[in-house]
Amino acid sequence: MTRLFRAFGAPLASVILLLSGVWILGLIAAPQLIMIEQSLWRMERPEGSAEISVQIDGLYNRLDVIGLDRSVAESETDSAKRETELAALAAEEAAIKAEIAVLEEKESTPVKVYTLDNFGQMGSAHLAIFAKTIVASLAVSAIALVVCYPIAYAVAKLETPRTAAAIMLALVIPYAINELLRIFAWQMILNNNGPANALLGLLGFDPVPFLDSGAGVFVAMVYAYILFMVFPLYNVLETLDSNQVEAARDLGASTWQIHRRVVIPHARPGIAVGCIMTFMLSAGSYAVPYIMTRGTAAPWFTQLIYNRFFEATNWNVGAAYALSLLAVCTVFIFLMMRLLKVSLKDIAK
Amino acid sequence: MEIQMTGQTTGKAIELEQAAVHFGSFQAVHPTNLRIEPGEFFSILGPSGCGKTTLLRLLSGFLDPTGGDVRIGGKSMVGIDPSVRPTALIFQNLALFPLMTIWENVAFGLEMRGWTKAKRRARAEELLATVALSDHAGKMPAQLSGGQKQRVAIARALAVEPSVLLLDEPLSALDLKLRQHMRAELKQIQARTGITFVYITHDQGEALTMSNRVAVMNRGRIMQTGTPDDVYDRPDSAFVATFVGEMNAVDGKVVTALDRVALVETPLGRFRAANPKGLGPGDEAILFVRPEKMRLLNAKEDEDNSIAARVTRRDMEGAWSTVVAHAEGRELRLHLPHSGRDTPPSGEVTLGFSADAGVILPKGEMSDD
Ligand SMILES: Nc1ncnc2c1ncn2[C@@H]1O[C@H](COP(=O)(O)OP(=O)(O)OP(=O)(O)O)[C@@H](O)[C@H]1O
Ligand SMILES: [Mg+2]
Repeated sequence: MTRLFRAFGAPLASVILLLSGVWILGLIAAPQLIMIEQSLWRMERPEGSAEISVQIDGLYNRLDVIGLDRSVAESETDSAKRETELAALAAEEAAIKAEIAVLEEKESTPVKVYTLDNFGQMGSAHLAIFAKTIVASLAVSAIALVVCYPIAYAVAKLETPRTAAAIMLALVIPYAINELLRIFAWQMILNNNGPANALLGLLGFDPVPFLDSGAGVFVAMVYAYILFMVFPLYNVLETLDSNQVEAARDLGASTWQIHRRVVIPHARPGIAVGCIMTFMLSAGSYAVPYIMTRGTAAPWFTQLIYNRFFEATNWNVGAAYALSLLAVCTVFIFLMMRLLKVSLKDIAK
Repeated sequence: MEIQMTGQTTGKAIELEQAAVHFGSFQAVHPTNLRIEPGEFFSILGPSGCGKTTLLRLLSGFLDPTGGDVRIGGKSMVGIDPSVRPTALIFQNLALFPLMTIWENVAFGLEMRGWTKAKRRARAEELLATVALSDHAGKMPAQLSGGQKQRVAIARALAVEPSVLLLDEPLSALDLKLRQHMRAELKQIQARTGITFVYITHDQGEALTMSNRVAVMNRGRIMQTGTPDDVYDRPDSAFVATFVGEMNAVDGKVVTALDRVALVETPLGRFRAANPKGLGPGDEAILFVRPEKMRLLNAKEDEDNSIAARVTRRDMEGAWSTVVAHAEGRELRLHLPHSGRDTPPSGEVTLGFSADAGVILPKGEMSDD
């Protein structure tokens, strides 16, 4: 802190601190805190509402009794006595009505109760979807890794810088189109009467229901998030000294051994970043499963969350679902880092 | 320090037969014939970009010749992968594996050959002991000094028991003292193992002190091959004459030529000098004289050749001093042994050199350093 002030001077340092504060609060803390708060309560009928109902019933009985008393009083001949009795009854009736209004108000206003129950709301059906989403996202990351590693390696190490730049540009250009449009394009490609099946038909195969089987979600997701694997891999492989690859080869290593002992260990931070990004994007994807399945295949977990918020209008359970997903993603990040023996410092690079 | 080789390795001969390398239309190595003897310490010396690394990659197998043949131990190596050639390469930047410990680095080649971990570790420890790094087996490369890394690279290459060790300017990153120390160490290792060393450098001191023979290269051509004495004392081209060691050069024209000696006419006068290339009268030529072969002549002293000059500067070099003189606008240098008693020369002087101290070579490209 004092270093900051010394390096930039008081005014600039204050601005930097303020901005970092706003950043941390607004971009990191606030949304999470809101979600956590939301997930931790629900509205409940107040405590002792049953007794209140009994009480209210009793009061209504009392009102009926007053009605009887009034008809008795009205038959009273002494007009002065009749008037006083009726007045007394009217006063009592008003008091009881007021009491009923208060009690009814109390009975019908729910109270906010803090509870962990929201997290226990997930039935086995939703739990299965949750598990499926996680497993499928892992698979998307794995496929993206397998597809991207050779590409990134070839571009980073085998091509001249200029060719490499051209290839990377070609990889990026499709991403200039809106994500939704790209997914719709894949939806059309994999449609039962789309080009993919037309091609299969030409080769003499029966049409494959890509979209209904959920395979379409997979393909579109790998496609949608593959860049987030290519770039970290490419960046890290670019920094690999080619002489190390040659040294390994000179010392007798086969291509596989070179990758296992030299290239992959070097690429670990990039692999970790790529896997984490594709996993989180896949697990949190809403548009891809929505568009690709049109509701025909079992939904993605994010769709369940969305439904909690907008169809079931149960935001508290929705928030709890969202946090569960977040927790799994966080665990995944740390697992990846442990597995690949990379530290936060490596990833930050 | 004794390097024990487990197998029966001896150095192998290297032969280049019209070997050439093109990169597209650019000819990096012109067709070259060269024979390096088994167990020889052979240096390739040349300026930056002359094709030294390219030549070495030809031997290690990372490049195949675009023409001609490369043979090691009598066997053609064309199309043979680096991983199975009997060569080991020490890279200019060493290329140690930064994520492996020192012993794993050294044992890498053995790991690739399927040795068990215990055996590799034992062998790595042995090799590390020979390069005085026993205490560092478990460290990472980044924790070592430049000279230590250098020795790890050597141990790693020796672990695979190559017949030919290829070294690409391995000492260029070290400071002077360490460089001199490592020169001696490399020389010892070479003598003890009997491995053929092909040593690339642009440092002529290194090439001259370490090698059995030296090849001087320029623009993709080997200009001259010979012992360090040969290339220093008997250069056969203007380039070699000027690239190796310091040289005074004066251009002129041959007037008369006998068997071994010729008379050359230059702006500084007529001089007698050796004529190894057999130039004839009228040929354009350059006269070369080493600064240490120039003398200061006394008033009455006679010499085969003499030049009147004016001393403009004297640089103290330690064991000798360099006297810079000018004659007819040309700079001439001579080295004087430094006794500490003589008064330094100044003003008008007469420089002289004997006929066998100078050499006349055909006009050609000269090194500009
Ligand atoms: N892969 C390549 N493609 C095209 N040209 C190349 C290639 N490798 C080297 N060259 C060219 O070949 C020539 C010789 O290169 P080389 O690396 O052999 O030089 P060098 O003698 O090792 O130089 P230095 O002392 O600077 O290392 C250079 O002009 C270089 O630009
Ligand atoms: Mg080089």
